[in-house]
Amino acid sequence: MPQVKIIARNFMDMVAALPAMKLDQLYQNAFICEAILRSLPPLAKKYVIQMLYIEEAVTTKSIEEWVLPDGLSKHKVAIDRLLQLRIFSEAFDRSSGTSYRLNPTFQSNLQKHITCGGVLPREPMPSSITARLPSLEDLAVFAFALEQWECFLLQLINSTQAEKMTNISPSMMRIFQRGLLTQRDKEPPRLTESGFQFLLMDTNAQLWYIIREYISNSEERDVDSADLISFLLELSFHATGEAYNMNTLTEVQRNTLKDLADLGLVKLQQGRKESWFIPTKLTTNLSVSLTDSSSRKEGFVVVETNFRIYAYSTSKLHCEILRLFSRIEYQLPNLIVGAITKESLYNAFDNGITADQIISFLQQNAHPRVAERVPSVPENVTDQIRLWESDLNRVEMTPAHFYDEFPTRDVFEAACDFAREYGGLLWEDSKKMRLVVKTDVHMHMREHLRRQRQ
Amino acid sequence: MASAPSKLYADDVSLLVVLLDANPFFWSASSLPFSKFISHVISFLNSVLLLNQLNQIVVIATGHNCCDYVYDSSSPASRSAGTGKLSALSVDLLEKLEEFVGRDEKLLKKEPEGSIASSLLSGSLSMALCYIQRVFRSGPRHPHPRILCLHGSQDGPEQYVAIMNAIFSAQRSMVPIDSCFIGAQNSAFLQQASYITGGVYLKPQLLEGTFQYLSTVFGTDLHSRGFLQLPKSVGVDFRASCFCHKKTIDMGYICSVCLSIFCKHHKKCSTCGSVFGQPHSEAASEPNKKRKAGDT
Repeated sequence: MPQVKIIARNFMDMVAALPAMKLDQLYQNAFICEAILRSLPPLAKKYVIQMLYIEEAVTTKSIEEWVLPDGLSKHKVAIDRLLQLRIFSEAFDRSSGTSYRLNPTFQSNLQKHITCGGVLPREPMPSSITARLPSLEDLAVFAFALEQWECFLLQLINSTQAEKMTNISPSMMRIFQRGLLTQRDKEPPRLTESGFQFLLMDTNAQLWYIIREYISNSEERDVDSADLISFLLELSFHATGEAYNMNTLTEVQRNTLKDLADLGLVKLQQGRKESWFIPTKLTTNLSVSLTDSSSRKEGFVVVETNFRIYAYSTSKLHCEILRLFSRIEYQLPNLIVGAITKESLYNAFDNGITADQIISFLQQNAHPRVAERVPSVPENVTDQIRLWESDLNRVEMTPAHFYDEFPTRDVFEAACDFAREYGGLLWEDSKKMRLVVKTDVHMHMREHLRRQRQ
Repeated sequence: MASAPSKLYADDVSLLVVLLDANPFFWSASSLPFSKFISHVISFLNSVLLLNQLNQIVVIATGHNCCDYVYDSSSPASRSAGTGKLSALSVDLLEKLEEFVGRDEKLLKKEPEGSIASSLLSGSLSMALCYIQRVFRSGPRHPHPRILCLHGSQDGPEQYVAIMNAIFSAQRSMVPIDSCFIGAQNSAFLQQASYITGGVYLKPQLLEGTFQYLSTVFGTDLHSRGFLQLPKSVGVDFRASCFCHKKTIDMGYICSVCLSIFCKHHKKCSTCGSVFGQPHSEAASEPNKKRKAGDT
């Protein structure tokens, strides 16, 4: 079965792909430097801090001496990343070889940040104005964010469970759904394999996927992607739950905020004279989730050794996700009970979900009571899921050609040796002189046999 | 003594507990002024907070008579906005530090005798370990803790027992104790602490570059320590102090029940109460030698 993996293209790859001038422009904003620093692999972060106050270039050899032999591969990854993002610039000198230097704008911004701290371009609004509307505590803001995000996801997969529609325009929705849903004529849209894999990713990865689609689409709407990226990264440094005035934003940023409110990233409110926005937890998590580290949220699934699943959740989205690979038996006010069966798993495998994805979903969302146990999902369950998956992979197919009726044994032996040399021999039968050879070797085989005849 | 067992760390989120030496007797005589030192430390702390949103920092000031928390990055009060010239961390930290020094001074009863004016390292180590234990119990996803001692005062031998207890407790919880020693001579206690718990001990040679030493060596999170070259310990002074007079000794008497160390013979162990037998003097061993000579 073809294993299609959703290309969880990193947001930082998109930033790194920006043209050099735009990237240098981005680095003039201190918060972007900070966000990008946080997204680097740990060794790269260390190198940046160590080189922070060094004005001259440091030779590659000296930097390699900092690392133990075990860490050389990580060292290469870190240096490549730094060069890709233009944080390190390379210089070649005949006497001392290649050397690296920190990007000067990046360097001075970080130095200022370390000594003077960062100041946001806008201050939170005084509570005298915001208190006129019902006050939003942290929990209420978080609940709002979750609700909006779930609504959006349910609408994304065109589920009939979505209770209310968000304000996103149908064209925007179609852009997000591109790659996740397919529509055949006269049939309701179905989730593709990538769509299923998308649902099983954790919230931060999903969020970045949507934002990446949004930004790549921005060029068509005449919005500069670098501006959007810088605004989003800046937003992630605002304090959750604090109100910020809308009049500090440009027109483009205000439009962006309206779209983000539909996703649950900010909450818009209108006072008597002014309007303001309140960033939610999803926004502040944007800069946390730039690296590949796992998200740190509460799990809700308990998997037992008798293949039953108990999910302590009220969310319809969770129910839909569990329905993808298990048979939901009943739903109680705070509990979803299901069972992993062979049929439900075969259903999932038909839809393109792999056993690894299911297992990692169960492990990452394990309820705190079982999360401390090693392993968090019982081994017999994980082993059985993998075995059922390999059941469907019993037959391996390779395109090949079949050769028969060789004139003499010598020709047959020569052909066998020839095929073996090229690594294309799949099967031979010496008694009846039959041969099966891979398709890519077929043409060479024909040439060889023709030469033999002459 | 074996050094700490190694642990696998999945990510680089760290909790850094800094024990800052605020002993007025040491700083008045130090070549590096305290204000310069604090500016290096504050830049270093800001750089640690910069690297990861989930990093946490706790600063405990070690005074001559008392120790106290002066900064905790995870407490809600610490999110006050900085002014344009100073970061939020500096504002909070310097305010609390001033209050602390005032309190420490009030507790001073008399001038310390002799030249040793040590700071209360055992107290601050214990406070740090208690905080870390609370973090361990806060749930499965907690930052990885380590302790950094920024110390300069000389060792006070009367604190030997308490410090060794704290060191073994840190070894058990797998919390490395790093030490950056800015005083004149090496500190035996801190060398032992770093050796036993698997941390790094460094005595910087150029105090003007303290920030660079801090960020290069002590800023390494526990995950990256497996890949980077860090200073290895050159020689550790393993001498103990006796339990009765708190003097540093090489040879002494040890209770076979609780392993307490004494410099002179006592009738009873002061820690566990077991009774000791007669001391083996030179005169008592002579009859044995005569008997052996008689046999052959």
